Amino acid sequence: MMKRNPYLKIGLTIIGLLMLITLFAPWLRSADPAQIDAAQLLMPPSSAHPFGTDQLGRDLLTRIIYGARISLSIGFIAMGIAVAVGILLGSLAGFYGRLVDTLIMRCADVMLCFPTFFLILAVVAFLEPSIFNIMAIIGLTSWMGPARLIRGEILSLKEREFIQAERALGASDARIILRHLVPNALGPVLVNATLGISAAILLETGLSFLGLGVQPPVPSWGNILIEAKSTLGVAWWIMIFPGLAILVTILGFNFIAEGLKKIIG
Amino acid sequence: MSEQPLLEITDLRVTFDLEGRRLTAVDGAQFSVARNETAVLAGESGSGKTITALAISRLLPPNAAISSGSIRFNGHDILRMSQEELTGMRGKEIAYIFQEPVSFLNPVFTIGDQIAETIVLHQRVAPQQARRQAAQLLEQVRIPDPQRVLASYPHQLSGGMNQRAFIAMSLACQPRLLVADEPTTSLDVTIEREILDLLMELKKSLGFSLLFITHNLAIARKISDRVIIMFQGKVVDQGATDTVFRCPRHHHTRELIQAYEKIGKL
Repeated sequence: MMKRNPYLKIGLTIIGLLMLITLFAPWLRSADPAQIDAAQLLMPPSSAHPFGTDQLGRDLLTRIIYGARISLSIGFIAMGIAVAVGILLGSLAGFYGRLVDTLIMRCADVMLCFPTFFLILAVVAFLEPSIFNIMAIIGLTSWMGPARLIRGEILSLKEREFIQAERALGASDARIILRHLVPNALGPVLVNATLGISAAILLETGLSFLGLGVQPPVPSWGNILIEAKSTLGVAWWIMIFPGLAILVTILGFNFIAEGLKKIIG
Repeated sequence: MSEQPLLEITDLRVTFDLEGRRLTAVDGAQFSVARNETAVLAGESGSGKTITALAISRLLPPNAAISSGSIRFNGHDILRMSQEELTGMRGKEIAYIFQEPVSFLNPVFTIGDQIAETIVLHQRVAPQQARRQAAQLLEQVRIPDPQRVLASYPHQLSGGMNQRAFIAMSLACQPRLLVADEPTTSLDVTIEREILDLLMELKKSLGFSLLFITHNLAIARKISDRVIIMFQGKVVDQGATDTVFRCPRHHHTRELIQAYEKIGKL
């Protein structure tokens, strides 16, 4: 499966390493990401601070590693919510058709009409910008893609003979959907969900950059970048390193998605 | 014969709704299957055999409906059953086997998983127990290497193997009636023979009734106690196998028999 699939290999290596780093963050960098050091303001990269320090003297590498925890967990959980909701609604729409289908898919169409980012901005304006709210909001505004995919797959799968055979063996609707239709429809959704994780991370970064996402002092790649904006003239590293982190992560997920697409066909 | 037949179909009419046009696929079919009997439902393609068979446990496609008639199975009126009663009965009381075994098995699960699932569906057993039963079932349908087949996916097995596995799955809950819809049509002749022998043997040892659907009169003659001939949605001839073959009443039965005699298959 991995043979002659460089995309998947590179992608999994990047994301695997990143997950290991976030998992072992406290052991890798013993400093507190919010530790202020007035003697070390805006220090360029050095052996003590490989990525330099910010305007409060905090170690940038530590902040980026802890930010990765936040960004990755938002990416995974938001997409988890989106895929769960998408699978539920998409399979109901595909399986039952008619009125159920019309109701669910028109809802999806309406939601797709709004540019996601502005929809999220509008919702965030009313809610506490906590990490959990951000996960929920991103998840609940990204289920339409998975739902459409699942519905399409199920529309064709439910006409297949083995579904008829399952009925003849006495399987209920719920069992047919959950045990037989959804597992067969998961392939394309997996690709979509992987791309979705990187989209969710970008959304979070964007929200945090606008000050509506993860709130300081909790570090996230987006809110490190806001701070970088004001010191761009004197400290390039505060802009470059979080930017690189985002770039590499997104690249990693997109490579995985590309690799999966090749396997699934 | 004072005993009530296991399956009794009276005046069954199935109509399809083809975007406003109504098409009668089964037109007043009437026949019965006794306990432990092998009945063959024969007829050419499009004569309504499969639709009749599916109607027995109300498995018709959504655009088809049973517009009149009655289906009684083991004393129950199938047309009056609720959805839950139906799912409880399917697979447990009435089981099916089909023509193309590979496409009737779920491609993403192993044979073992699928058989075990069917067992769990109708019996209160632990998954490991179901797994053991699945292995026994595969032995019962004379699969030489049950452990390997249990762990195989349908696409890794031959047509004959898949059909055996499917038979094992259908018989998992010891149904009273097995409806076999052209189960050997997609197999080559030697495998066809093996599967037929296996079915007859299982029928003897497990004691179920068999409703076998085929367009092949040679098979019909060989295995059946009774034949039912369908033509254009109607049952045109039925009776004890010997009687029907010796003195067919309907001209279509005669045509079919003559056609087979001409190519020397009977």
